[in-house]
Amino acid sequence: MKFFENNFTYDYSFPAVSLAYFLRYPNPYSRHVLTTDVIDRYVDPKTQRLHTIRLHLKKSKIPSGILKLLPKGMGGSDSSGQSYILEKTIVDAKEGWMETESRNMEWTGILSVVEKQCYKRLPSEEDRLTLDGLAVDKSSEQTSVKTTVTFRSRLGQGKLLGKKKHDTGDHEDEEPRKGFFSSLSTAGIQRTIELIGVSRTKEAVLKSKEGMNIVLERLRSGGVVGVLEGMRQDREAAFGPDGTWKRVWLQGKDRSIENDKS
Amino acid sequence: MAASIAPECNDIKEKYDTCFLKWYSEKYLRGNTSSNDCEALFKNYKGCLNKVLKERGIDAMVDDARKSGSSETDAEFLKKS
Repeated sequence: MKFFENNFTYDYSFPAVSLAYFLRYPNPYSRHVLTTDVIDRYVDPKTQRLHTIRLHLKKSKIPSGILKLLPKGMGGSDSSGQSYILEKTIVDAKEGWMETESRNMEWTGILSVVEKQCYKRLPSEEDRLTLDGLAVDKSSEQTSVKTTVTFRSRLGQGKLLGKKKHDTGDHEDEEPRKGFFSSLSTAGIQRTIELIGVSRTKEAVLKSKEGMNIVLERLRSGGVVGVLEGMRQDREAAFGPDGTWKRVWLQGKDRSIENDKS
Repeated sequence: MAASIAPECNDIKEKYDTCFLKWYSEKYLRGNTSSNDCEALFKNYKGCLNKVLKERGIDAMVDDARKSGSSETDAEFLKKS
């Protein structure tokens, strides 16, 4: 298991940052995000916290460094180059915090990546006195965010395919390709895969921060309308007026056929 | 607004998203947490989306992923490391 941790402070109020989080796709740094859907959303009547579950479809490929370590045939079927990410969010507007958790839904045996973020309103005099909704113009307000990403490979531990349902782990999966890296133990291969995940994530975390900042800047200058207009332009720049929907639809069909086989 | 995985749900998703943003910024964040302005729109959007998730076999995967809560994973992590 490997960890990646990052701390950052946005020069925007907590309400603005939490709104930007829900509004962050599309932005110029999120061209790999194809679709976003809300699976579930409710306010817990006891705590008044807003719970949201979203499903993102992202363009991604298993890095070639990892592919080399997999048993023959594994990974090769994932030619769609897309992956599903499940994101859970809890917002407490009164206490001024938001917790998020995003995880990959497929290939979790090869590498499970769980990103957790904790956004907190940084206490200031104004904040203590009043919760002023979308106080994006108050430059004094800040929001901290702590990002923790956990990487875990279970390759060779009988849990190779996360998407296999009710995998009890009774039967051992195929061993990793030791022939290729004969000096590596199973633990060594797991560690290698986890490290490849870490190096890719550093860049991704940075990009997502850039994306959030653009959305926040649009919020500051044009409000929600400004963000939506920016999004429309991003989408057209990336995919053309309706290109993305058509393409995802076609690829989505491929994927469902693939699932039927497994 | 971000596109839906199901193109046929894009229109209703956009309506719901717009409603949510308004409710979230104007009501929820200002302390009016019990209002549910967008419930009907969300119901329609979910109905459209769930049908497609089921057709493509994604629904079971989503259910599994939703169950894998953080506490369970953490406990597992601690046990194994």
